[in-house]
Amino acid sequence: MMAIGENAKPALAAGCRWGGSKEQPVLLFPEGAIKVQATGLAILQLCDGQRSFSEIVSELQERYPEAPAKRIREESANFLEQLNAKRIVNL
Amino acid sequence: MTLPNPLALIAEITHRCPLHCVYCSNPLQLAAADSELPASEWRRVFAEAAAMGVLHLHLTGGEPVARHDLEELVASAREAGLYTNLITSGLGLNQDRLARLVGAGLDHIQLSFQDSQPERADQIAGTKSHAHKIELAHWIREHSIAFTANLVVHGHNLNYLQEMLVFLEELRPDRIEVAHTQYYGWALKNRVALMPTAVQLENALRVLEAAQVRVKGRIRIDSVLPDYYAKFPKGCMGGWGQRMILITPSGEAWPCHAAGVIPGLAFDNVREQSLSTIWNESCAFQKFRGESWMQEPCRTCEQRHADFGGCRCQAFLLTGDAAATDPVCSLSPRHDVVLREIRSGQSSNVTTNSQLRNWIYRPNPSRSS
Repeated sequence: MMAIGENAKPALAAGCRWGGSKEQPVLLFPEGAIKVQATGLAILQLCDGQRSFSEIVSELQERYPEAPAKRIREESANFLEQLNAKRIVNL
Repeated sequence: MTLPNPLALIAEITHRCPLHCVYCSNPLQLAAADSELPASEWRRVFAEAAAMGVLHLHLTGGEPVARHDLEELVASAREAGLYTNLITSGLGLNQDRLARLVGAGLDHIQLSFQDSQPERADQIAGTKSHAHKIELAHWIREHSIAFTANLVVHGHNLNYLQEMLVFLEELRPDRIEVAHTQYYGWALKNRVALMPTAVQLENALRVLEAAQVRVKGRIRIDSVLPDYYAKFPKGCMGGWGQRMILITPSGEAWPCHAAGVIPGLAFDNVREQSLSTIWNESCAFQKFRGESWMQEPCRTCEQRHADFGGCRCQAFLLTGDAAATDPVCSLSPRHDVVLREIRSGQSSNVTTNSQLRNWIYRPNPSRSS
């Protein structure tokens, strides 16, 4: 079951920001860093605190029409919930 | 084998501190105030670190706020692109100074607490500081930076862990770090008094797990297990000379917080060598890098890739041999030393209460060397 609401407006939490290089962006947060891969990057770039989760999912579905819509929704939710548990993303 | 680049730089910018915590892991030989590296040198070190691939900078001490040029240090770290974390007791930080540090680009502040009750907290800190920390925590939440509340635990406060966690939760940090006392420096001097019992630890684990469920998604709770009670030692520093560089207040580059206790290690100074030369060539960093220095049982142990034989400083402090298996390891031929310490701590804590303790408080360093 997804814990993230359709109207949640995910954003990077305070004190979490981008570092590294353009070729290899790194998400920096207290006591850690994650090398974000292409799909994760696509999701996080939409998490601006303005777009709702359902808007983010629609945009991703438009961008990746070949991927099953349900899978995009589930994977985005999983990814954001994991980052939320680590206090990297606010939902 | 190619050498990885360091990921974190620990900058002990001063050993001056208004607190005198009995669990302090600073070396017994504290750096004098007049030996401290100036901001211009730190600026160069931060730039060199970032160029080598270091991501995180931890500004610590002593009390880093005791340096009047801390704002300048934070600004130059951010200019270099480092993720900048301030580890502080909070003493010396008022609203204005906090705002200036945030303005300079501070990413994360880690504020230490000794207890939830002022009397107990101030006794461990050897200074009246608890009330100010609470006030500071509220000011921190007015800024958009990451906030960790750090709690060092030991035999004298573990019984209050539930109460202490609730207290910290109310300060609304992003993270709570529960760190068991590590027995180096001043903490080693107070080890008998600080050692928790096995029952205290078991209860603490249950309290922590319940708290993690309670605050899920709101606060992340990290905890570091006390290694005296572990089956295998900690993978100290992610391996000697593999991930971290510590710079002392006077500019010496150490592979870890306590490396100064190991006899015969010569430390290079960032005043004389570039950080990358030190990382690649310094004898101190090469001494226990990799596995060729290992003795049995480490040398052929399957765990060696995970724990690197444990902590070299602890091996020296407890066995007299820095290349020995860390005696906290259940496989160490000298594990009896650790079991004896656990027992003497337990019997002592049953019979005495903390008010009657003869604590050895961490003093302040002298002004000049």
